[in-house]
Order: sequence, then C-alpha cells, then structure tokens
Amino acid sequence: MKLPVTCPEKECCCGKTRCTPGKGLPKIILIGNPNVGKSSLFNALSGSYTLVSNYPGTSVEITHGKARIGEREYEIIDTPGMYSLLPVSEEERVSQLLLFEEKASVYLHVVDARNLRRMLSFTLQLLEAELPLILVLNMMDEAEERGIEINIPELSRSLGIPVIGTISSEEKGIEELKAAISEFTLENNAQKFRQKLDYGSEIEPCIEAVEGLLEPSEDAEISTGISRRAISLLMLQEDRTAFEYLRRAEKTPGYWDESHEKNSEEIRKLAKAASKITEVPLSYLFTLKRQEHVNGIVEQVMEIPEKSKNKSSGKNGKIRAQDDTGKKGSKTQNSNLDFSEKIDSILIHPVLGIPALFLILYFGLYLFVGVFAAGTVVDYLENTVFGGYINPFVTAKFISLVPYPALQDLFVGEYGIFTQAVTYAIALILPIVGAFFLVFSIIEDTGYLPRLGLLLDSMFKKIGLSGRAVIPMVLGFGCSTMATMVTRTLETKRERLIANVLLALAIPCSAQLGIILSILSGNPESLLIWFIVILLEFVLIGFLASRVLPGEAPTFILEMPPLRKPKLSNILVKTYSRMHWYFLEVLPLFVLASVLIWIGRLTGLFALALKIIEYPTVWIGLPPDAADIFLFGFFRRDFGAAGLYGMHDSGLLTGVQLVVAAITLTLFMPCIAQFMMTIKERGFKTALAISGFIFPFAFLTGFIVNTILKALGVSL
Amino acid sequence: MVTGNSHLPMKTTTLCAMEPRNTGKIDHLETKNPGILQKLMAMGILPGMPITLLRKSPSYLFEVDQTRYAVDREIANHIYVSC
Repeated sequence: MKLPVTCPEKECCCGKTRCTPGKGLPKIILIGNPNVGKSSLFNALSGSYTLVSNYPGTSVEITHGKARIGEREYEIIDTPGMYSLLPVSEEERVSQLLLFEEKASVYLHVVDARNLRRMLSFTLQLLEAELPLILVLNMMDEAEERGIEINIPELSRSLGIPVIGTISSEEKGIEELKAAISEFTLENNAQKFRQKLDYGSEIEPCIEAVEGLLEPSEDAEISTGISRRAISLLMLQEDRTAFEYLRRAEKTPGYWDESHEKNSEEIRKLAKAASKITEVPLSYLFTLKRQEHVNGIVEQVMEIPEKSKNKSSGKNGKIRAQDDTGKKGSKTQNSNLDFSEKIDSILIHPVLGIPALFLILYFGLYLFVGVFAAGTVVDYLENTVFGGYINPFVTAKFISLVPYPALQDLFVGEYGIFTQAVTYAIALILPIVGAFFLVFSIIEDTGYLPRLGLLLDSMFKKIGLSGRAVIPMVLGFGCSTMATMVTRTLETKRERLIANVLLALAIPCSAQLGIILSILSGNPESLLIWFIVILLEFVLIGFLASRVLPGEAPTFILEMPPLRKPKLSNILVKTYSRMHWYFLEVLPLFVLASVLIWIGRLTGLFALALKIIEYPTVWIGLPPDAADIFLFGFFRRDFGAAGLYGMHDSGLLTGVQLVVAAITLTLFMPCIAQFMMTIKERGFKTALAISGFIFPFAFLTGFIVNTILKALGVSL
Repeated sequence: MVTGNSHLPMKTTTLCAMEPRNTGKIDHLETKNPGILQKLMAMGILPGMPITLLRKSPSYLFEVDQTRYAVDREIANHIYVSC
C-alpha cells in the first residue's frame, strides 16, 4: 500500500499525490526481497515516513525521499520487494524497470540477516550487473535471537563490497551505514565491482555470443546502469523487460551499426539452442550455479545453530556443540520464541484458527470499531459536540454575517458544506476509520495477515482466488481504493480481476462498515441477515467469476514472516498517516457533493435526480425519501451510509427497511476514487463493465431480500 | 537433472508425501511448469537446502533455511525431497 510520504520539512508534497523530493540529486536505491525492512531503512535514512508492516508486499510502488548523509544530499528511492533480477510478479517488475531506467550512485541491497543463504544469490546478480553495491544485513537482532553468527568482515572480503549490519526498526547501525555510503560515494566508484560467475563451459559461449550482439557502437549513450552480461543472462531467460530495453535501444539512432538489426531474433535463437544443450530451463541452471557459489561463501562466514528438533540429515558435530553454548546464553529469548510458536500454531490451526479469527473480528471490529467508535464516539461527536454546540453556533454566526439565503444554504443548510460535508467527515468518518486503521495496523504488524492467507487458501480457491488475496481483501475493509492498488501483488490477471470485482462489490470500507455495524448493532437479527447476505453475495459472485473467466486456477505461495510484537510508535504513525490520507481524500469529495447538490437544488436538477432514483428506491421497499442516501452513495459509499445514519437517527425507517438499505448500500460501487483506481489498474473498459454490473445488481439484491423478508412476514 | 549432492542411500518423494515434523533435503524441483519453478527458485527454495515440513493442513507449511513458506498442494507437488 502506498500513501504519500510524510516529509519532515513539508517542503515538497504534503498531501499531494505526486511527490519527488530530492530530484536531481545523486541517487541511493534500496533493493531487496519483500519484507526485509527496506521501508523501515528508508524511513531511518531519510527521516520521512513510508508504510512499514509485517507482511511481504507492503510497498507496491516506488517511494522517493531525500536524505542528508555527511555533507551531501541524496535522493533516496525505496522499491517494492523483488526476489531476483528476473521478476515473477507485477510489483517485482516495477522494481526491475526502475533498475533498468535509473542510474544511482549507490545501491543498497537489503537482506534479512537470518536468511543470508537465500538472499546472497540476488547480491551476486546485482554484482553481475556491475552496480555499485553495499550489502545491508538487516534484522541482526532476529538473527542473534536464533543464535546465528555472521562474520561481517569476512563476508565483505569475499564479496569485495562493504557489508553493514543494521536493525532498522531500532535505528541501529544506521550511522555506520551512512558512513559507508559517504565513503563509498567519495571514492567516486573508482573501483568497479564485479563478480564474474562461471556458468559452465556449455553455456558460457552462448552468454558471450549474446553479449557480443548487445555491444553498442563506440559513441552510443548507454541508458542503463546494468551490465551487458546481466542483460544477456536475462535475455537468455527470455525476460520481457530486457527485450523491451533492447527494442528501445534498437530505435535509438546511432546505438548500433546497421549490421545489428535483427538482434532480438538472433538472441531468441541462441536462447533456444542453449536450453537444448542444458536440458533444463536456463533459469534453473543459472540459479543453481549461483547458489553453489553462495553456499561456498555462507559456509565460510555464517554459523547457524542446529535446531533441537529431530533432524535426519544433521551430521556436523562442530555445529551441534555451538548450538549448546548458544542456547544457554539465550534461554529467555528461546522461551519467547516458544511462546510465539504456540500462538502461531493456534492461529493457523485448521480448526482452532477459525474461532481465533472470529475472536479477533468480534473484539477488534465489532466491539472496538462498531460499538465503541461508530457508536459511542460518533454519537457524542455528532449529537453533542457538533449537533449541540458547533453547528448551531456556526450557523447562527454565518446567518448573521451573510444575509444571502442561497449562500447560507450552501454553507450551513441541510446539505451545507459545513453542516453536512465537514460534520460527516469529522464527526462520523474520522473516528471510525481511525479506530479501524488502529486495529488494522496492530493486526498487520504482528504478521497475522499471511497466516490468515494460509488458513483461508483452500476456501479462497473456490472463488478463484489464492490465500494471497486475503491481504487486499482485508485491506479493503479499510479503504477499497488502497486495496485495489494492492491487488497487483496477485499473480495472474484473472485473480487480480476477480479480487477487484469482489472489492468493489461486497467489501464495505471501514467508515461504511462502522456505521452499518452501529446502526444494526441494536438488533442482532438484522446484523445477522446483513452479514449472511453480503457473505453469500461474496461467495456467489466469486464462484461465478471463477467459472466464467478464462485462465488457470491460481497457485498459492507465500512467505510466512515470524510473529512479531507490534511497535507502538510504528502503529501510531501508521494509523495517523492513513487517517491523514483518508481524510484528505474524503473531505474534497464530500464538499464537492455539497456543492453539486446545492447547484442541483438551485437549478431543479437535484429534484429530478431524486425523482429518478426514487423508482429503484421504492422498488426495493424503501420510502421515497431514502433516494437521498443512494444519491450520496454515488459520491462515496460511506457518504451514503452517513445519510443512512441520519435517517436512522430520525427514526424514519423500519427494521426491514434498514437491513435492505444497508445491504443495497454495501453492494454499491464504493466511490469515485476507487473507480479511478480501477481504471488505472485494470483499464477503462473493465472499470466501466464492473460498475455497469454492480449498480443494477445492488438494487436487484435489495429487491430480492425485501421480497423474501416481506413474504416471510419478518419484522425486525 | 541437477540434484543436491548426497552420498547416502535415500528415498525421494514429493513434499506432499512427507510426514509433518520431518526434515529432509530438497532433491530437485519439477521443471515442467516454468511459472511455478520460477517462483520457487526466486523465493530461495532450491535443491540442496534442508527442508522441514511443519503442517499439511489447512495448507502446506514448511521451513527452508530460516524462513517459513505456505504453499498449496499444487506447488508442494513440485518439490522433491530426499530423506
């Protein structure tokens, strides 16, 4: 998820969507696997704030910041996590493209110190690409907790680059890192870092042949920081970005002599020939060769205590002895690990996991967000603070100062900018989203979301999604605009589309959910009916979509970060930063709605629009007055919900009508912002098709529920 | 096929056929589906690495090196383990 960076100096962006602090300065680019702490390191280096969570794929966009290190200023760039130079998912491709397009003074490869063995292979790739590199071993504390020892100087020697250990969440090692960056850039990259890996006599000639084809004419300007050898390797693995780069280069006049025209085809032929020789996919061969080299390094520099668990292949006595001494030293830490291990096994237990989920939902969502924030707090703010003091005061002042009824109407009338837009935004929406984001931040920082993915994967498969989709879905309860963007972490186009449709249709955003919970909480049966209908809707549409849409069923693979104790400061900053973002998004739309309604009332268009919407409104069994809330709903679902809250407050609706209105409004298209995001991620046609489906469908469902409830003679 | 080196006589099964709490060594990866192969390799699930299966339900949960992964049956079937 991406929010605008909060700049400490407030000099560039605050609140604007585009923010590029430090443009034109020498660049530092952070690269690394997902969930190794790049964003937290970015925050520590730049002093600004970008979201940090405990699950892979928190950052799906590139973040720019500015950092002052020593005497110099830098532009510092945080990238979405990537596992290797060869991308698998969309957000990895975002990072890969950046590496192709930018040329930085320093690249920081951030790795999780525990997992050196798994991550060094990417370091080798970056060295192969001849990028000026510093290796950052982050999360040294978690490595130590597990008794892992790393000989940093030795590692630095064998790679030939600086290696720094850090704990970015506690800002430890940051000074050393800054010093290393200063020193590194002062040397002006005099030494080129390269680590030439030999991929074997069978394949090396092919690599060299491709490299030869890529050689530009002497005075051509080279637009990428990545070495020809690295590009050649990517091309042999038929990487799209590398070929696109080649195509661009081919179009650049003077890049090549004319003899190089048919390079792409030539390279594809070479790739085919090469994989015939090796009999396995070339990427498999390259990865294994690199890993072999990594294993050699890791054995020299890293000591991992063997676990006490039964291990059939353990045979190294020396390591075991190390283990015993390591254990005595960290007994308390081990019992901590055991404790989190126990909680972990409950959370992902196929049977116990479900009640655990409901407990979290009940306390976190229902009691805290629904009953406390949307009930008690909103009631106090709306009726006492705004209704009792602020609004009467402001209205009286305004009317005495501005004697024009039309303007009075615009600012303090029934739908006025102040009396409706501002009041709704501050008294109603803000406390609810604030409470939700607080709970959500705690949940995501513990690392519960990937566990929920594991728990629900087999159920999600039935609606065409994998367990990975749990993350955008849960996020959707916060804000479906953010969640729509996060669907890009899903692997196939089909899965992204299904997730998008379900988000737009059946996942209520926090403000709306809070209001509905609070309106319906007085009557458990109503709440149950609402819940069941929405859940059925979610499952049914997902199921149908997975049947109708072409493409393969999704597969599920997800890294499971350790359970972590959330840090209060991170939770507060994150909640604040999301509330800030949400408020800035919500307020202009609310104000816009007030202004449009005002214009509409002056011209009579408002009455006309209401007349039209009255038809479906009456059709689903609601009083004609309720057309208001659906008109609001076109601006935002939560605005509509706020309208519903108003009608409920004045006792205008019966129990059945409330449920029907709540259901129809939940299924409604979320808001203009979400629609724009859908256009951005899926394209205009798809976005239009989704809305064209959702509006009639929401009313149809309302109609069916109303008819059934009426037929059964239910009164709520 | 490139495999992890092991000199002891061992039997090779897929991860699906393993019992929870058992440890083995990744022998090789099924290479017929390039998408899945690419994902597994990118995440560092590679031949020669010790692997411990922790759970089979609700999905497969295993540990390679110091990291845990959750995968579905489809993917677990692509990982061959010797133990």
